[in-house]
Amino acid sequence: MITTHQCANGLAVVVEEIEHVASAAYSFHIPGGILHDHEERVGEAHILTELTSRGAGVLDSRALSDSFDELGIRHSESAAHNRFVYRGSLLAEHLPRALELVASMALKPTFPQAELESIRSLYLQDVYSLKDNPGRWAMTELTQRYYPEPYNRPSIGTEEGLQGASIESLRDLWARCYSPVGSVLSVAGNVSAQEVIAQVESVFSGWKGDELSVPEFSACHDGQRHHINSDSAQEQIVLAFPAPKFLDELYYPAKVANSILSGGMFGRLFIEVREKRGLCYTVYSRHSANNDYGTTVAYAGTTPERAHETLEVMLEQLGSVEGLTEEELGRAKANLLSSIVIGEESVASRCGSNASDWWLLKRIRGVDEISAALQAVTSEQVYEVFQQFPASRYSLLTLGQRDLADKVGA
Amino acid sequence: MGQGKQHQAVLSNGLQVIGETSEDNKSCAIGFFVNTGSRDESEPEAGISHFLEHMMFKGTKKRSALEVTYHLGNIGAQANAYTSDENTVYYAAIIPEYFEDMQELLSDMLRPSLVQEEFDTEKNVILEEIALYQDRPHFYLFENAISEYFAGHPSGNSVLGTTKSVSAITRDQMADYFERRYCPSNITLVATGKYDWDSFLQRAENHCARWKDLETSRTTERFSPDSRHKTFTKKNITQSHVVLMCDGASAQDESRYELALLATIMGDVTGSRLYWSLVDTGVAESAGADNDAKDGTGCFMAYASCQPENLDKVVDTLRTTLETPLDFTEKDLEQAKNKLLSRMVLEGEMPLGRLMSLGLEWNYRKVLHSLEGEIQRVKEVSVDSIRKALSERPLSGVCEYTLVSE
Repeated sequence: MITTHQCANGLAVVVEEIEHVASAAYSFHIPGGILHDHEERVGEAHILTELTSRGAGVLDSRALSDSFDELGIRHSESAAHNRFVYRGSLLAEHLPRALELVASMALKPTFPQAELESIRSLYLQDVYSLKDNPGRWAMTELTQRYYPEPYNRPSIGTEEGLQGASIESLRDLWARCYSPVGSVLSVAGNVSAQEVIAQVESVFSGWKGDELSVPEFSACHDGQRHHINSDSAQEQIVLAFPAPKFLDELYYPAKVANSILSGGMFGRLFIEVREKRGLCYTVYSRHSANNDYGTTVAYAGTTPERAHETLEVMLEQLGSVEGLTEEELGRAKANLLSSIVIGEESVASRCGSNASDWWLLKRIRGVDEISAALQAVTSEQVYEVFQQFPASRYSLLTLGQRDLADKVGA
Repeated sequence: MGQGKQHQAVLSNGLQVIGETSEDNKSCAIGFFVNTGSRDESEPEAGISHFLEHMMFKGTKKRSALEVTYHLGNIGAQANAYTSDENTVYYAAIIPEYFEDMQELLSDMLRPSLVQEEFDTEKNVILEEIALYQDRPHFYLFENAISEYFAGHPSGNSVLGTTKSVSAITRDQMADYFERRYCPSNITLVATGKYDWDSFLQRAENHCARWKDLETSRTTERFSPDSRHKTFTKKNITQSHVVLMCDGASAQDESRYELALLATIMGDVTGSRLYWSLVDTGVAESAGADNDAKDGTGCFMAYASCQPENLDKVVDTLRTTLETPLDFTEKDLEQAKNKLLSRMVLEGEMPLGRLMSLGLEWNYRKVLHSLEGEIQRVKEVSVDSIRKALSERPLSGVCEYTLVSE
């Protein structure tokens, strides 16, 4: 059973009680993240979340880490592009202690100067090692060119940005962003909603703050062609084009459309590019959406001599859903529906999807609602997705030994 | 928690069937665990186990490759497979209403037709997969380090094989390898989650009992390392990587529990010795330790990636940590146990998690362990039992492999 509760200070609490498990998971989302970093310090959001885990309340870095480890709580603190995220999974009996520690990190970080340089070094290494992972590198380069500022910021930050962070700037970022308004704390597992809500009301009661204003989202830069030279063994092909937003009436049809293209092993991209032609090992498309924008991203990694044909076949598949049968539509839906049921077995995935729902909708959709919406999608709606959001608007980035931009035209 | 009921049977042709049923789950998992991998390959066969795993999805006597794929899709199967040096596993998570269908399909898939045309196309996919991993420094180092460390022992065989070896593999070689390694007595069928055991077993008999049995075996000599070191190079990489490998506990050694906890104390993602000395300080980007418990032999390893200027310091720290394995407190051990236990519980709540744990346990030791039994065994580990394990089998013969930019 799912219970939601709104605290007086603006913090939302979502609890899903699951009786037959011994575990629990929490997922705490606070508005902020890379989007809100000062433009000269892109990446400081990462340093900030990590720093909150290196000293909070009366606990120093070691004591805080030990407090989690003593109870076997697996935890992570991170910054996404539009939020700070604290996650953990644990034996349900330890949830009260876990929530105390999380509240302490968010509300009472001590900003130890001694920890700053080692944290900076960690995130700088992440930036330096980007080029050791060509797929991730290509995706980062495309993001920078496709999205408008500041939505195009690299998720790992920039070298200059990370270098620029100081204890003072981090305190400022924390004071500006960490606020109960718009934050959601989601818990799932063998817990009592009443007890969780009572504890949250108590440990977060002193938390005050205003709503964080979000930078306006202007248009994406579609129709671009880019190439980056690299002597990697494989050519990286990434492309992106606009897709339905989360609240768009074509949102569910777009999910089904993407399943037709890239679901399981039956997706058209996989069948045409890999299974029939053996052109690559990895090929996929993904549809992601929030309240501001939706995007379809497609990826393939292949050796240079097969790259051109790979791109051609990908574009052909992304461009049209011609010949769609009822059987194919049913398969695409079956795959989405079963992954929902199977995902439900994991407390971490329950609590994560509840948090996302609250973030986007301010309510929880629940498995039945999502299943019904997916079931109701018709082939006409899927055609509509391809018409209204044509792949022909794609921006392309290739990274490797061969520039394919001139092969496909502007 | 973990109140699943356990079951076990053997079909007349030797195929082993095990399972755990639980009414609390909403889904099921099913898999075939084949006791085969790159260590069971001859030299000209390098990469054939993994290639064959791909071919299992490419058609049977009664289904074409596309029919297999579409059938998996129609029933919403979350299906996949993997090949390691000693196991090949085909598995799927599935909702209960399609469990029966999935069992029939997976059983059919395990008798592939190996059509020449599909074989030729899939070979290209494998060659692309090899190229993919060549661009990943971490995999590149491990692939080369394992081959050097286990030189002369089958555990050093590469799972993927090389472009050269895979290119040369023929369909007939694969049919021969299949015949040799995929005999029923070398395979275990496993299911977990919400399903009915009796009808599952009956169907196993219907689908698999006609599979012809042959004898098969594996040599499992223990490997003893000699201290060595080697530096590998690769163009245009920014971070340096290192792995130290030495003698560890095998999958059959009772001390595997002790070494698993020792690896957690040394190298867990957070709060471990290597975390505090290397990651917390920013000296390395990542660091870890692991006991790879293999069939008849074991390999304990510690690894890290860092900026090139820190490599010497990182190697020294890894070495010192391996040389002083008992340098931890009761409290450190308690933490490691609690971390391991909560992971086991969380993983055990999902049918797929239980499937992997039961299947591999059976492949190596032919026993069915309940989650409670496993938890109890982890709880029994003490500083003394770790000391005893190390005195019987020290972390000896440390070999050092590094990867740096050319």
